[in-house]
Amino acid sequence: MAKYEIQITRERCTGCLRCALACSDLYAKRFEPASSRVYVTSDSDCRVHLTDECNGCGVCVDHCFYEVLHKIRKDGSA
Amino acid sequence: MIRGGFAGRVLRVDLTAGEVETVPLESALARDWIGGLGLTAKLAHDAMVPGNDPLSPENPIALGAGPLVGTNLPSSSRVFAVTKLPTSGTVGWCGGGGASFGYLLKNAGYDHVLIEGRADRPARLEITDDGAALRDASELWGLGVDETCESLWRQFGRPLGVICIGQAGEHQVRFSMAFIDRISTLGRGGLGAVMGAKNLKAITARGTRGIEVADRKRYRHSTREFLREIREYPYLKEWQDLGMVKSFPIISRETYQGMKKRRIACVSCPVGCKDLIEIPDGALQGFVKHSSSVVNLYTPVLYGFEDYRESIKCMASIDSYGLDMFEFFGVMGFAKALADHGIIGSDLLDPEIALDSLESMEAWARKVSHREGLGEILAEGFAGVLEEFGDAAAPLAPALIKGMHPYAGPGSALPWNLFGTMELGQVLDPRGPHVGSGGSPTYFAKRPLEVFPRHLRRMGVPEEAFDRILPPPDSDDAGRALSVGRLLRYSHRWFSILGSIGVCARAGINRFYDASRCAEFYEMVTGIETDPAELGQRADRVWTLLRMASVREGLGREDESLPEKWFEAPGFKNYTTEEPLRREEARGMIGDYYEEWGWDRSSGIPTPARLGELGL
Repeated sequence: MAKYEIQITRERCTGCLRCALACSDLYAKRFEPASSRVYVTSDSDCRVHLTDECNGCGVCVDHCFYEVLHKIRKDGSA
Repeated sequence: MIRGGFAGRVLRVDLTAGEVETVPLESALARDWIGGLGLTAKLAHDAMVPGNDPLSPENPIALGAGPLVGTNLPSSSRVFAVTKLPTSGTVGWCGGGGASFGYLLKNAGYDHVLIEGRADRPARLEITDDGAALRDASELWGLGVDETCESLWRQFGRPLGVICIGQAGEHQVRFSMAFIDRISTLGRGGLGAVMGAKNLKAITARGTRGIEVADRKRYRHSTREFLREIREYPYLKEWQDLGMVKSFPIISRETYQGMKKRRIACVSCPVGCKDLIEIPDGALQGFVKHSSSVVNLYTPVLYGFEDYRESIKCMASIDSYGLDMFEFFGVMGFAKALADHGIIGSDLLDPEIALDSLESMEAWARKVSHREGLGEILAEGFAGVLEEFGDAAAPLAPALIKGMHPYAGPGSALPWNLFGTMELGQVLDPRGPHVGSGGSPTYFAKRPLEVFPRHLRRMGVPEEAFDRILPPPDSDDAGRALSVGRLLRYSHRWFSILGSIGVCARAGINRFYDASRCAEFYEMVTGIETDPAELGQRADRVWTLLRMASVREGLGREDESLPEKWFEAPGFKNYTTEEPLRREEARGMIGDYYEEWGWDRSSGIPTPARLGELGL
């Protein structure tokens, strides 16, 4: 069961991919954003997406420096 | 033995034959040259035949990203190129925030690319997980940097790292650059022209292979503490919010906030210094521009533009043509002076040169980039203008170093008046006037000398050198004198360390790194044992090789002369005393710089003994 719900504040994203790097490091044991459970698309703006495999562990939030990602406990607390 | 960090392969490209070859990266080569800047310099040096024309097929371009690129170490995304530059005629490093390119190059399985020859038609070098291929780029030829990137992203989607040139590079304008993902500049001094001469419009990279770390347990422990320090840095939010506006407050914070759409970061960067802005009002309302920094968009303001919105529009044209903005305005200012003195005839002035006019500067950016009319001469840079207009033109030329206009100092775009390491570094970087390699505590004006030792230790300056850089507390010069020349020697070592491992040298991020940390991170990522002193020694080898590559091309002491205009009013001031900088004083700094490196104090050429110590 997911520990957190990951909330996204899209407009602050800079496209640094720190979230995807951290996720792949944890689960793929290498820096491999292509296999990450969080990914970023870039066009006129950046958008962060979570895959269905995301288990809400929050490692991406811990590595985001731009306050794009937030973890909210399932009971609603931050 | 390499166990992580490196992708482990080098791509060799022969544009003339239309062939690509993937070769393994030799472990010993990676160890001896660190990676990134160091290995790029080594590959270029070994492929060069001294004396070749920079715009000939024989001039190679080496390209690469360091072993930390692709990890999540903060701001480890730096990309370097090394080639013989057409403006200075020397071998220069070209470096930029790698945006997505370095990370995608590494993920495609390559650390470095060595490009030689000349394609028989416009070409794009495509690098993917499946290897590399040369693709026809005829449809891209004639497009600007923005259009080229957008066209490629439309066709192939993102992520796709792009290094490309605009029309200025295609026409081999001597001061054309390459751009990375349209937001980073690469190669003041003419990398754009070198690519154009090779018919190489673009290099694209896309990969998914991933990067491994040799010692994951140690890595996770060390980075946890490192990231905590960055997060707790009291000015982090201000750097993130303002970027270069924080250190170059030429724009009011209110004006900046009014145009900021969002900030853009290179991969892994927690600061994010690139900008996406939108003009909020006026006739240009809604005009959108990506930039390496909003500060750069104000360059035309420094030359007289009154409306910042027109300045942004002008820079959009200059960037998209792929011109070096400082050199463009320097050359145009020179041409205007020649026109005012009747040396350039009015028949050539279509339109009139007005440095404060959007219409005029956009027209001249186009004419220079396409070599139309007088633009044909201006495209050859200061050397071309001086050759065309002869002795009458010379007294009107601005300050010049290695054929280029230094952009920081009296009479330059950035009118910094204190003579620190970045200012002196414009004379002593082999590539020509650039402040990027000369960072030190003198980056900030009027820093008290008491805080210098902390920064010197961070940069890996050996304790035994402290007394030569900062007079001891009991000496007559205590608190007054600072040996800028000797300090610059260690700035260049520090720059070589950061660039070779793959970390950005910008002040907003390199403040978090120190020599010990660099050695620790390098070791745990690559598995190559090292310590701060040894890594510093390897970095010394890198900078010395860059110097020798230029000495081999004829670089001598006379090429590192101080511009006379620096000593005319208002002139530079001594960094600590703020008294006017004297010629002899500055010449002494140059001798001190050479001596601190162990090079001949008079000629600036590394001595055989010193070369032997470095294994060169």
